[in-house]
Amino acid sequence: MSSVTAESAQTTEPTLKKNAITFISNVVIGVASTAPGYSLAATLGLIAAVAGLGVQAPAIIIISFIPMLCIAAAYYYMNRADPDCGTTFAWVTKAMGPKLGWLGGWGIIAADILVMPSLAYVAGNYTFLLFGWDSAANNKWAVLAVGVAWIAVMTLICYLGTELSARTQQILLSIEVFTLALFAVVALVKVYTQNPAGSSHPSLSWFNPFAISSISALTGGVLLGIFIYWGWDSCVSVNEETEDSGTAPGRAAVISTFLLVGIYLLVAVAAQAFAGTKTLANNPDDIFAPIGSAVLGGGLDKLLIISVLTSASASTQTTILPTARASLSMARHGAIPKIFARIHPRHLTPDVSTIYMGVASCLLLVVLTFWDQNLIFDAFTALGLMIAFYYGITGFACAIYYRRELTRSVKNFFFIGVLPVAGGLMLTAVLVKSLFDITKPDSGYAGPLFGVGAPFFIAMVAIVLGGVLLVLCMARYREFFRRTPETAPPDLVARSPAGHESPA
Amino acid sequence: MSSEFVVGYDGSETADAALRAALTLGKELGAKIVVAFGYFPNPVGGEVLDYAKALEEHGRAVLAQAEERARDEGVELEPVLVEEKPAQGLVDLARERDARAIIIGTHGEGPIRGALIGSTAHKLIHLADRPVLVVPR
Repeated sequence: MSSVTAESAQTTEPTLKKNAITFISNVVIGVASTAPGYSLAATLGLIAAVAGLGVQAPAIIIISFIPMLCIAAAYYYMNRADPDCGTTFAWVTKAMGPKLGWLGGWGIIAADILVMPSLAYVAGNYTFLLFGWDSAANNKWAVLAVGVAWIAVMTLICYLGTELSARTQQILLSIEVFTLALFAVVALVKVYTQNPAGSSHPSLSWFNPFAISSISALTGGVLLGIFIYWGWDSCVSVNEETEDSGTAPGRAAVISTFLLVGIYLLVAVAAQAFAGTKTLANNPDDIFAPIGSAVLGGGLDKLLIISVLTSASASTQTTILPTARASLSMARHGAIPKIFARIHPRHLTPDVSTIYMGVASCLLLVVLTFWDQNLIFDAFTALGLMIAFYYGITGFACAIYYRRELTRSVKNFFFIGVLPVAGGLMLTAVLVKSLFDITKPDSGYAGPLFGVGAPFFIAMVAIVLGGVLLVLCMARYREFFRRTPETAPPDLVARSPAGHESPA
Repeated sequence: MSSEFVVGYDGSETADAALRAALTLGKELGAKIVVAFGYFPNPVGGEVLDYAKALEEHGRAVLAQAEERARDEGVELEPVLVEEKPAQGLVDLARERDARAIIIGTHGEGPIRGALIGSTAHKLIHLADRPVLVVPR
């Protein structure tokens, strides 16, 4: 306990009192960050539309989870080395040097910005659907206006501080999960009792990944599938902060994982059984709109709209927050302009980073809508590449950083070496394969741009822009770019940071 | 009961008013002032530690201002960083120190703004187990 008297000339080191996160909030964070309602609405149709995939969407959901699990191991161990809580940027910089680290950080920011137009599109669309104003929901300018307003409101909330929204997020999440479960159960009951037109009974082959007809269908599906788990890692990252950290974080991560996979499979099977893959594939922007009222009917279908709307708005928030914090992190390490590390004195939020994120997202939404509204979905496809890139590179970074520790025990070798590298390799394979696939001129929803598929074009713009910014930063922030790769100190694995030794 | 007063301080104009009131009380009663800066790096959004560090640095700077003021006034002051939601953090700190009272500014939040983003003073009054002095701007 430090105290200071009037005479002392020096400033006293303040006492620091730490907060703790409860078990329930840790589960909520894990599930909320992935936004199940929105992820399903936006992804299931796209997965069903992948050529050659047929009825195997549930199999894709299972397969996509495997690389995420592997990468989670990398997150867990890198978090020990540098508890930076989820900054691929900081970890890759440590393991593989500043340039790759910087690009990893850019990958996070680019992915977050690329997802915003489709989030805003869903939010805008569903706002009109909630009030039954279908003509406006189909008008791209009306959706644009409401979408921009949504981004602005969510940016404002993130700017003002998130205490209230964090609490409401618990309520929103409960509504979301309850509604999705209700939808799935009612849909399945109707499939078995009423045999609605286009319906089919679920079969075990839907879950069989070996029934997928081609490798390109598999990679195309997985590239979309990893998106639905995107954000799940934040649950692993906040582990160290949790109350009773000896056992709680592991359990929280496991529970939110089962919750997520369970919800996804249940809803995917129910939607596919009720409406068939064609209906899903024909409504890639949102699968619930065409079948929601047929399933729930009688006003209850509004519940589904509210569920997706709350999910999309919660997701907008859980997208703005980490982006702003990633740029805050980069600015604090001296890799981008210092202004991005600014903290608002009253709201205690990274205000400059937050506002830049909001403005960049709005600009992208406006540009894509003016150019061709279909590009919003192509941006969504392109962002899968960014996610695969920064998750993958984190996997490799883990094994490289700990390379001298890998041979110390079988456990080390498997959890710190094999799993992260396997995750990295899987994501690299998906990335390379889909890069080739999306170069095809007809690969996007929008027509080809400059002779290549629209998603490829969007990805290239993001990559080239990242490269240009990297070169500019390298010229300006010499000190950061002089950093050299490090390896893990020998006792790091044995040292258990929060009193537990096995990975979550 | 100790002779300490716990003050919530974030460097804002209204927090200054609270600090002024606390320093006056401290001087007149010869009491020690515990100045707390409360911050809560919300884990939703990940990347918690860098954000927490940024907030901590900001908090240190703010507390240093308060210390300077106390030195000028000749009052004993202890700075404390509380990584907890401000209202709950102040209540816990006051209980831990068995403080005489908690002193806080109103922050000038009107009823609507208070309801939207949360008024620390309002929450504090309901949470506290000891006297709370709310100082207007």
